[in-house]
Amino acid sequence: MARTPPADRDGTAPRAARGTAAAPVAAEPGAGMPGDTLRAVATALLALYLVGLALCVATNTSSGTSMLLGGLQDRLFAPWMVPAWLDLGHDTHLTYGLPEDGDHHVEIVPQGAGARAIRLPEARDRSGRAARWRRLARAWATAEEQGDEVAGPLAEAIGAVSLDLAGADDVVVRLRRSIVPERAAAAAGPTVDTVVAGRARVVGEGDEAELEWIPMPPAEELAPLVGRPEGAR
Amino acid sequence: MSAAPAAPLRASAWDRFWFAPAAATRLVPVRVGAALLGLALLWTWAADDGLLVGPGGVVTPEVLAAWRAPTALSLHDLGGAWTVLLVAHAAALLFLGLGAATAVAAPAAAILHASLLHRGPLLAGPGDDVLAVILWCLVVARSGDERSVDRLLADRAGRAPSPSWRNRTALGLLRVHASVLAAAAVVAQLKADVWWNGTAAWHLAAREGSRLDVAGILAGSEILTNVVTHAITLFEIAFAAGVWPRRTRRAAALAGLVGWPLVGLLAGEPAWGAALAILAVACLPEREG
Repeated sequence: MARTPPADRDGTAPRAARGTAAAPVAAEPGAGMPGDTLRAVATALLALYLVGLALCVATNTSSGTSMLLGGLQDRLFAPWMVPAWLDLGHDTHLTYGLPEDGDHHVEIVPQGAGARAIRLPEARDRSGRAARWRRLARAWATAEEQGDEVAGPLAEAIGAVSLDLAGADDVVVRLRRSIVPERAAAAAGPTVDTVVAGRARVVGEGDEAELEWIPMPPAEELAPLVGRPEGAR
Repeated sequence: MSAAPAAPLRASAWDRFWFAPAAATRLVPVRVGAALLGLALLWTWAADDGLLVGPGGVVTPEVLAAWRAPTALSLHDLGGAWTVLLVAHAAALLFLGLGAATAVAAPAAAILHASLLHRGPLLAGPGDDVLAVILWCLVVARSGDERSVDRLLADRAGRAPSPSWRNRTALGLLRVHASVLAAAAVVAQLKADVWWNGTAAWHLAAREGSRLDVAGILAGSEILTNVVTHAITLFEIAFAAGVWPRRTRRAAALAGLVGWPLVGLLAGEPAWGAALAILAVACLPEREG
């Protein structure tokens, strides 16, 4: 039995096995192709990945997914695709024209006379850094509106960072959303809503100082101011 | 029997698509583009002295615990290594772009990029996602075989460049992803009325993050708004399908090179547009290189 020459450093089939008459190869791979064993392994890995990719696209969508596909994805593919950041739906919708698709920003107002409000990101800032702040604000808004468990820790973390940025120990933080108007009403400009508001302050002193986050209810949930009837005392 | 040769023919087509040796020529712009985009994105993560994802930043361990998938892993979880990992990440991308020690730089860049995204998953955008895919594809390839420091060193040692099946596999993966990403995007978009009634372009342009100042023009013309919206949808469909037939592949890839950055700029997602343009480069027929 003739001895097979060794493969190249990338597993390429040796010259004697590259479809020559002496060593015919299944499917006539031609010169420079990987050897049979390596090709079989690579094919299996590619097939596995392509199935994983299809499942990721099918399951990572806002429309939900079937229990069967979701279960398969979670058990067989997520354990290795999630760490590699490949468990992606790629459903980049860009906009649905909904209020949630508007620009989000965080407004920090230090309590006290003469303090200057901070806006993150600044208006008309189109940098990549600004995009990250907008993404953060949007994630916070989504978490709050869906009652997600991350909403609480996120509000406290943003409160803590707000105190640092403002250099104060008492600030009001508002998550604001600019809703794009319909095209016909473009002249009116965007409507700005407050999605979340809260007060962050430092309570205690020295080693006992700790952050307190006090959610502030939206204005529409407050009791209306009713005029006092004439003559009433 | 006429059915007998079918299996070998199919196997042959599969093998040609995934394993026929290819030069690294087409992967050079992918490698350089991915490295430059990675460095630009890394800059945005590190902004504000790590106020977003650095130690003491907004993404606290409590936020991460509530947000991340249980199987997520990040080198940044090791603690205290934020600056070191950032420097290593930048170095890996720089080496990858230059094609120096590419066999090490490519996996290092992919791992560090994935680690960074797992450090701040709620801040990751579509550009970060596509770049992750590209970087893993470059791990498969021997992209440093041409126009690189590695090539210079190999030339001095008298080693001539040779085509590799790994380059073909990487190019195949890049093309599959280019098509899947475009198809997934268009399917997601067409769930909403704004993409059917032709007003989506207005909603993109009127946002603060849009990089194209066309909101005023679109506000004045409904027809133009409709044209731009439907053009985006048609472009995405044409790209997803057009990168496959031999006759349309070059045109689709060239359209992607121009179209994706424009859509990205309009939508305020320039990194996503740039990443898809890099994928479009990988779809160009090799003789164009």
